[in-house]
Amino acid sequence: MFEFLFDPKYYTWILQGLSLTIEITLFGVLLGLAIGTLLAIEDIYGRKLSRGAIAVYVEFFRGSPLFVQLFLAVYTVPAILNLRIDHYLLAFLVFGLNSAAYQKGYMKGAMQTILDDQMSAGLSVGMSKIQTLRHVILPQAYRIVIPSWTNEFCSLTKSTATVAFVGLFDLVSAGISIRAWTYQILPVWIVIGAIYLAWITGFSKIMDIIYERKKIPGVELLMQ
Amino acid sequence: MEAKNVYKAYRIKGDKKEDTKIVQAVKDVSLQIHKGDIKLIFGPSGSGKSTFLRCMAMLDFPDKGEIYLGDQCLTKPGVDLNKARARIGFVFQHIYLFRHLTALGNVELALRQVLKLPKEEARKRALAALAEVKITDCCSKYPSQMSGGQAQRVGIARAIARNPDIILLDEPTSALDPELTGEVIDTLRDLAKEGTTMLIVSHEMPFAKEVAEEMIFYDQGTILETGPPSLFFNAPNTDRAKQFMTRIINRTTR
Amino acid sequence: MDVWQQFIFLVEGVPLTLSISILSFLVGIAIGLPLAFIRVYEKEISFVVDAYEKIWRGIPEIVLMLLLYFGLGPYFPMPFNNAFFVAAFVLGLRSGANQSQIYRGAIRGVGDEQMIAGTSVGLSKWSAIWHIMVPQVFTFSTPGLGSEYALLIKDSAYVYVIGIFEIMSRSIQLKAMPPGDVITPFILAAIIYIAMTFPIAFSLDRWGNRRKKKIGL
Repeated sequence: MFEFLFDPKYYTWILQGLSLTIEITLFGVLLGLAIGTLLAIEDIYGRKLSRGAIAVYVEFFRGSPLFVQLFLAVYTVPAILNLRIDHYLLAFLVFGLNSAAYQKGYMKGAMQTILDDQMSAGLSVGMSKIQTLRHVILPQAYRIVIPSWTNEFCSLTKSTATVAFVGLFDLVSAGISIRAWTYQILPVWIVIGAIYLAWITGFSKIMDIIYERKKIPGVELLMQ
Repeated sequence: MEAKNVYKAYRIKGDKKEDTKIVQAVKDVSLQIHKGDIKLIFGPSGSGKSTFLRCMAMLDFPDKGEIYLGDQCLTKPGVDLNKARARIGFVFQHIYLFRHLTALGNVELALRQVLKLPKEEARKRALAALAEVKITDCCSKYPSQMSGGQAQRVGIARAIARNPDIILLDEPTSALDPELTGEVIDTLRDLAKEGTTMLIVSHEMPFAKEVAEEMIFYDQGTILETGPPSLFFNAPNTDRAKQFMTRIINRTTR
Repeated sequence: MDVWQQFIFLVEGVPLTLSISILSFLVGIAIGLPLAFIRVYEKEISFVVDAYEKIWRGIPEIVLMLLLYFGLGPYFPMPFNNAFFVAAFVLGLRSGANQSQIYRGAIRGVGDEQMIAGTSVGLSKWSAIWHIMVPQVFTFSTPGLGSEYALLIKDSAYVYVIGIFEIMSRSIQLKAMPPGDVITPFILAAIIYIAMTFPIAFSLDRWGNRRKKKIGL
């Protein structure tokens, strides 16, 4: 039943697919963290106009399915701009932008847990707001946000399964191809599922260990 | 430093829009403090003393009035507040140490980022400040590993490390267990002996008697009475001050 | 098809989307609530809850739907040949895992004293849970449940892969039909989904805050 695993042709596909899945996920959560931080800062300190724009952005990306956003990115955007854009690039970007909408919320929450007192302390020693953000607030916020970030990572990995349906070769595509060649359905999906499970559980466990080491005692984000 | 006719109010938001209260914490308060002075502001809680002190340090902005640091008017628009705040030292009631840094790191941070000192010199000055508050053994400890008294002394070291023109202290001992206030008060006494300019908000009466040159009674947003400690401890002029002093002296002598 | 016709075509998928989401949400309550209480109050078997949560955190819903529908469907046509069943099954059990976490946080928020008070008047453990904790836990969980429900509406788009003709599938169908419009179907689909998620999360939040005030939290 599971013989296909030992055939090099098939396991190369699996490795290819897995590497794309991992790349999209990591790119997505890291880009999301970067943009999310900027959005969070702008949301706390910016003017009404920028906060309104951020609210619209967040509502769009959190209010519609990633599946739809993917199709919008891969098909609609190039059509509107009348350009040919690499589908892989578009997919990477849409996952980053989507993740940013969620991570803005996590970063803002993390920052606000410590903001008032640590900002006062930073200003009181003569640092500017930006200096305080950079040297005092963000270093602490990044540690506080690790559990939420890990959660976002798990979610994002699962949603990368959609890219198979816009023609990219990820782990699910690998499964579809192998199934097409070997006519094995159940074993293939069991293996694919197990690979996802191993990757996600493994990475989360590593992040949990990192969090235990790096967390600031007594300061945790109340998840809700 | 000088405060001239300062006003500050803040909003307490209630559940409904009608419930929003406006509290006038600072009503037309003026105060002068010269180099080497040690003045103490005291009064009932909630009277706005902390708000006023934060305005002096430009951590909050006054609604009306002016604040001067030497000749420079800080409340004018366009002033570089960061440079001004670098010349003022502030000690918080709840300490507010940078939790992700060690004691040494807490003191060094401003020296490196604000005064732009090179690594070795910043370290030397930080160690010197920590030595002044007699706490060098806690250098590599994190705030969560220190007692309240130790943490607050690090806070004081952080405030004095830049050799500021004046130090403002907002109830430095109020959040500490009674046993730990002693170490902080000793530190402040030492600083006073060296001639540091200090403006303290506190109700540590014995300390006030010993160290303050002038005491300022602050109640419900304004300064009701000022004078040397002897005035307040023997025969205050205003009724409110009399009331307050009797209650406080009864409490501390019991 | 013009924009309006496309819009109607997509809106015809709303009932399916809604029924899948609502059904999954209810399955999620039925699973998540007991699991949360087991995790908090029955320490010996709490590892089962952890394992359950880990599985649902670690396998994509799409993969599970493909596995059950195409993999088990042929062998067990009774439930697994029905795409709607598979959709509600996968999303429902997944929601159970998410809701278990939500309720766990709410249980902690309500506090142990309530349980102690309950057992002090003579109620058994599970009776106290049912009569005292559960009502309060729901009040505490409203923001989390709001976002979970919105999540289910969005994840219902996954059922495209097993052929259910809801909003997502219809939008892809519009792309496939001549003249191959790729602009309006997806923009319209996004708008419809946003219109469905926005009010729900918003009002559940408000309802929860009001109930919290009523019982004095």
